[in-house]
Parts: sequence; C-alpha cells; structure tokens
Amino acid sequence: MKLQHYLGGLEGLGPITVETRVFVEEWEKRIFGIHTAMMALSPQLPLPATPSAFRTVWTWAHLRTGAEGLNPFDYFKYRYYEKWLGGISGYFIENGYITEEELEARTAEYLADPDKPLPQGGAPEIDQRVERYLAEGDSPKRDVAILPDFQEGDTVQVRNVPTLEHTRLPGFLRNHSGVVETVYPGAYGYLTDTGTDGVGAPMPVYCVRFEAKDLWPGNTEPNVTLYADLYAAYVTKPTA
Amino acid sequence: MTDRFHHPDDREARSAARVRALEALLIEKGVITSKTVDTVLNVFETKMGPFNGARIVARAWVDPAFKQRLIEDAPAAIAELTDLPEGMAGAEGEHMRAVANGEGVHNLVICTLCSCYPWPVLGLPPYWYKDPTFRSRAAREPRAVLKEFGLTVPESTEVKVWDSSAQIRWFVIPERPAGTEGMSEGELAALVTPEAMMGVAVAASA
Repeated sequence: MKLQHYLGGLEGLGPITVETRVFVEEWEKRIFGIHTAMMALSPQLPLPATPSAFRTVWTWAHLRTGAEGLNPFDYFKYRYYEKWLGGISGYFIENGYITEEELEARTAEYLADPDKPLPQGGAPEIDQRVERYLAEGDSPKRDVAILPDFQEGDTVQVRNVPTLEHTRLPGFLRNHSGVVETVYPGAYGYLTDTGTDGVGAPMPVYCVRFEAKDLWPGNTEPNVTLYADLYAAYVTKPTA
Repeated sequence: MTDRFHHPDDREARSAARVRALEALLIEKGVITSKTVDTVLNVFETKMGPFNGARIVARAWVDPAFKQRLIEDAPAAIAELTDLPEGMAGAEGEHMRAVANGEGVHNLVICTLCSCYPWPVLGLPPYWYKDPTFRSRAAREPRAVLKEFGLTVPESTEVKVWDSSAQIRWFVIPERPAGTEGMSEGELAALVTPEAMMGVAVAASA
C-alpha cells in the first residue's frame, strides 16, 4: 500500500503554500527540460528517428512510478523537482547511459565552479523532434471498438484492485459508489501496463461523480461533489 | 529517524550542480544537444502558456455561443481561434475539457495522484497546484482550501472538484467580472489568471 496513491483527503496537513511560480529555483527548469526531451525521444512514439543516443522508453508513467515508489517520508521531504532529479538521474544510471561515479565527479566540478560552461553541440534533428512532440502530443486514444459496460446515469462501484507499483486509481475512491457522469467516446490506453492494477490496454474511461458526504461521512463540507476520470478496469457493477 | 528530514545547508547549490552535471553528460553522450533544454523552455514562453487560456476565456465571455461550444467540445472550439500558437492539441492538451463557473456552481481542478495540467492553455503548473498539501486537502475540504486562497464560496453554491486521473486535462471558465461591459477581448484577457482557470480564484476585477 503506497501512501502516494492515497493522498486525497488526508487530515492535519496544515496551510496551503500559495506559491504561484512554476519554478522556484533556476536549476528546476533544467530537469523539466530533460524530462520533456526524454519523453519526446522515447522510441515508442511515431516520430522521425534522430541521431540521439536515447534508446529506452520514458513516459509520464515512468516518472510517476518512480515518485510513487519512494519512501513516503522522502516523498514529502523532497520538493517536486528534487524528486524528478533523483528519479531521472537514477534512470540514466540504471540504463547504462552514465555511471554514478561520472555523475558524482561532474557534480563536484560544477559545485566548485557553477559557471563552468556546458558542452556544446548536438544534432538539430533531436531538437526538431522535441518541438514536434510538444506540438503534436501523444494521445492515448486508440482506434479500437470496445463497447462500454456502463452508460451515463449508471451507478458503479470502484474496485479494490491489487496495485503493486503504479496506479491511476485515486486510493480514496476504492470501494465507493458513484454515478457515471460521462462516458468518454472511444477507448484509451495508458503509457504503461500496470499489471494486476489493470490499466494499459485500450478500454473505456468514465467520468464518475461522487458525493463528498459519501466519501467522507460526517467529515467534509456541504454541497461538494467530486468527479474522477476512471478507466473501465477500476469500476464494476455495484454488489447487490 | 530525526535525521531523515535534514537537508544540507547547500541544498540548492547541490541540486543545481547535479542537474548541470547530468545535462553536461547527456550532451556529451549524444542523448540531447546543448540547445535541447532551452528549446523546451522556449515553447513554454512562446507557444504553451496562460496567455492562450486568457484569450480563450475572453472570447467565451464576449461570445456565449462560443462558450457553449467550448464546454461541449473544447478542442474544436479552441481550433476556431486560428491565431493561437501551434500545439493547442499537443502535449498534455490532447483531450482537454472546460467547465464553467456560474449559475450556482464553482469548479476546482486538482490532480491527487500527480500534477496533470492542461499545458497548451495554461503552460506549466504553479507550485501550489503540485503541493501534496493542496492535492490532498482539496479532495475533502475544497471550501477551506479556497478560503486560504482568499475565495469564499457560499454554501448554496455547489463546489465541483475534478480529479484529473485519466486522459482529460480540465480547466475552468471563470465568471466574467462585474463592471467589464464594453471592454475589448484584449482587456478582458488581462483579467484572467491561471488561478482563476483552475478554480482557486475568480478573475481579477476591471
């Protein structure tokens, strides 16, 4: 049971920090750029091949899985982009692009001399593909005809699926009943196969409406409705 | 246990050095170029950002039929605005949906699992949206959360919280502020903030 899958509704967390900036440190912009480039260069995309040495798959699912797999105390300890930096550095080491020793040694050089220049050069096709990825996106909609089991207005129950690593099911919805608000047209895959958790292959997705008073009995606010977009694998007919 | 939450004094300098080292190594090994990261950042300065969302909302305010089309089919309505930058249906905008505030409803968009955000219309998410405290509390006590943003929503107004847990990237069409009659679309767009388009604020007053 990963706490990161169950964040909705935790109590005792204290006040919101209303920080409107996207990045609070200049260095955070760099890891964001690297992550985006990795997604753009990932080989499963139908984009033109480039001379990039990047040959392994990287998607949002990989980034999320890494963050979800952290010790939950570390998940709260490290800021958002600190988690990205840890996860992405680890990925490049695990997949043999760089060694930990190289990274440590180069980090020490830049710590001693932050203004030491970056290397220059590289194939323009790499940057062209990155721009094209951002402009075209990567839709999970698949040209597969699957009839949804449910229609608008149906009551559904959220399944307590056996999740091992990664999920797209907000944990606080498990076992609750909701009403289908929208049946999204078509079928949608996901960026990775989540195994026994159930998503990956194309399937319908439903927008399901929940009453807050049912999710948090006696412990919520009046007149609040919560909607979640749920893959078909996460919902079932209510038990009698 | 108490050491777990300790950060070194040079926390930011270390991260800056580490990411610079990573970028340097990736350039040297031919994974990316020396221009790649700046290429990405430039897209979010010029093509994907809240400047797009503000123009879309301003159009919705002056043209009720467009607003209705935006609610029914956001990508098609957005495509009508031919002078928006390229990529309005691109990364993190492949399946966007708009919900409108007003008529007894206030909408709030969250992502309890991560930080899903409609990039083409709003660019990258602000820190508050990515904060686990916001993501967690908004699912159970959205009115209290909105109060901390300075917004009081009366109990008679339904608060709808949209958790972006699949392919949809939600955004909010805030209500048009009073006293803005006769303003041009450009002037109206200047009143629309990213916070208003996620539902934690109303649009600025004229």
